[in-house]
Amino acid sequence: MADNLYNNLHAEGLISDESLQKIRLKEQKPLLFSIHWEIRTLLYAGVLMLTAGLGLLIYENIDTIGHQFVLMLIAAICLGCFYYCFKNKLPFSKEKVSAPNSFFDYILLLASASMLIFVGYLQFEYKVFGTNYGMATFIPMLALFFIAYYFDHIGILSMAMANLAVWMGVSVPPQQLLLNSDFDSETIIYTYLVLGIVLIAAAYASRQFKFKKHFKFSYQHYGIHVAYIALLAGYFHYYSSILAAAWILGIVLLSFPTYTDAFKNKSFYFMLLVVLYSYIALSSLVVRLFLSVGDVGGVYLALLYFIGSGVGLIFVLINLNKKLKAA
Amino acid sequence: MIAYNKTWLANLRLRDEVKKNLQQGNISKAEFDAITQKYPVGFYSPNIFVRIGLFILTCVIMSFGDGLLSLMAASGNIITSFGWFFFLGLLSYGGLELMVNGQNHYRSGVDDALLFISGCLFSIGFGIMLSDNNYGTHYLPLSGLIFLLTLGLTIRFADMLVTAVCCISFFAFLFFVWIKIVPAGLSTAPFMMMLAAATVYWLARKYDTHIACINYANSLVILQVVGPAALYASGNYYVIQTLSAEMMHQAGPVAFGIVFWIWTMGMPLICIAFGIKNKSVILLRMGLIMVTAAAITFRTYYHILPTDVMLTLAGVILIALVYAVIKYLKTPKHGFTYAEPDEVMLADQLKIESLIVAETFSHAPAAPANDNVKFGGGDFGGGGSSGAF
Repeated sequence: MADNLYNNLHAEGLISDESLQKIRLKEQKPLLFSIHWEIRTLLYAGVLMLTAGLGLLIYENIDTIGHQFVLMLIAAICLGCFYYCFKNKLPFSKEKVSAPNSFFDYILLLASASMLIFVGYLQFEYKVFGTNYGMATFIPMLALFFIAYYFDHIGILSMAMANLAVWMGVSVPPQQLLLNSDFDSETIIYTYLVLGIVLIAAAYASRQFKFKKHFKFSYQHYGIHVAYIALLAGYFHYYSSILAAAWILGIVLLSFPTYTDAFKNKSFYFMLLVVLYSYIALSSLVVRLFLSVGDVGGVYLALLYFIGSGVGLIFVLINLNKKLKAA
Repeated sequence: MIAYNKTWLANLRLRDEVKKNLQQGNISKAEFDAITQKYPVGFYSPNIFVRIGLFILTCVIMSFGDGLLSLMAASGNIITSFGWFFFLGLLSYGGLELMVNGQNHYRSGVDDALLFISGCLFSIGFGIMLSDNNYGTHYLPLSGLIFLLTLGLTIRFADMLVTAVCCISFFAFLFFVWIKIVPAGLSTAPFMMMLAAATVYWLARKYDTHIACINYANSLVILQVVGPAALYASGNYYVIQTLSAEMMHQAGPVAFGIVFWIWTMGMPLICIAFGIKNKSVILLRMGLIMVTAAAITFRTYYHILPTDVMLTLAGVILIALVYAVIKYLKTPKHGFTYAEPDEVMLADQLKIESLIVAETFSHAPAAPANDNVKFGGGDFGGGGSSGAF
């Protein structure tokens, strides 16, 4: 069928002789079946199982087997993997360096994960950092950032960012922040806000200084989500006080640069985030206004608002999409 | 028949085919533009992000719209009956037809959402209609009705999710009919289900390249995924054991257990073997998933090794295996390569892999929030005894 298709296109004068030739050549080559993604998935599963197994091994046998032995085992795995990565890595550059092979990516991941287990274990058993918990999380975080940049590995960069959050004292995933805002939440909200701003700043710095430009997306992705969620959580936390206005203002201030940046880079993803998060903020304001009416009319108005604004926003999205394409 | 413009669907297929050659540099941009001029596609199908956005917004509009209507009708006794759900479902369906026929939406998020919502509303309506407020849920008619509904929607819109629901409800319907009308139905049900699933898979493979099904390629792919899954599940020891315990109140091992154990363990390997032999991506991936299922099934009944040792060993074996495969395929052999496929993947742009890695690997032991809490034992969280008995 494909054969006929290109013959027809050629007969209609839509593709040149040369192109038809190229297509014929391609069709004569045997089609190779790529098992790239299957292999990567298996590797991921293998590394995940191994690290989970090691973690459990320690947890189950913490009182029976010698600590030195377990530490040695983990250190051996960690060092062996790092050795492999050092031996096979491509030279460092400020641009994107692709991994020599998929195996490399996951061995590096195994090395980093076992390093985390090792440090955690040292701290747990031998109190290496004493009661200085800041250091206990700061050192692995620095190491992870270094590994991510040195070997150019985005997955480890994401791990480093998560560890940055832990070091700053929030180990709550941002999803939970919105759900239960009752424990000590002011500090958590402010910490998240700072974290989000730091990550967004890192994203712009990556591009500005042309140092690992392709890391920008990951920084920005985490930063935008964390910052928006922190701002929204802050707004709902200070719902009844005058401070709520400041948080809304924060959302506005965050939306504008993100929006222009999305336009500049033709990023549909960030544009969608800006639109949806701003919509949530706007809707919470509007619903608040309607509910202050205080009878059933307010509910009707709110329902009507959602229907109308939803339709309106669909048109906005479709038009923005067109604009972005044309930009 | 299918709701979308058939000519445009054909042109869209042609465009996708030609686009591959554009990406591989076999045809020039100018040629590609000329081809798209000659074979226009009038659908509105934006990229995935806009599609997600439109999906969410359509769900918002529909839920609040339905809420508003229900609120208005709440004064009467109308909204407690199942007819109300059918009414709302019909509204969604009407909107869907309008969007598809009037606005030429095709996989735009709007039509996905409307299809999803109307399907759900009708299913809820059927559920309320058949349940008479006591325990006897009517699985047989319910699965039959849902099958007919989703079959109609599949034929009209060829959506993947609806096809999956259709296929699953078909198997459910068969199962319930079988155990109702055939004496000793439950003990023969596994074999009947195997036969049915194999038939579905075989038909899907047979009509895969058939000209009549050309607009339903995606649905046929789904059948080729759900078919083997059902085929495996119908002979899986855990499924059989659970069902016999549930429906016949027979605890303990199953009769002819050995047959099902052979099936549980052998089927994944057969699936992978066929996947490699026929170079079928679907079968290969299904086989890999089945291996996982088989391992979990085995672990449920037999504990040969403690979990931690087993995980560690399995991890080492997997990594070694992959290493061997990569070494073996340094140069492509037997038509297999390990190189990345040259189609640009969306997952790559979004760096999905790195996100998943970060989600699963970044659980470093959290530091206590304030410094005067001592790092006590068992602060790792999670279950398990601390071995202090």
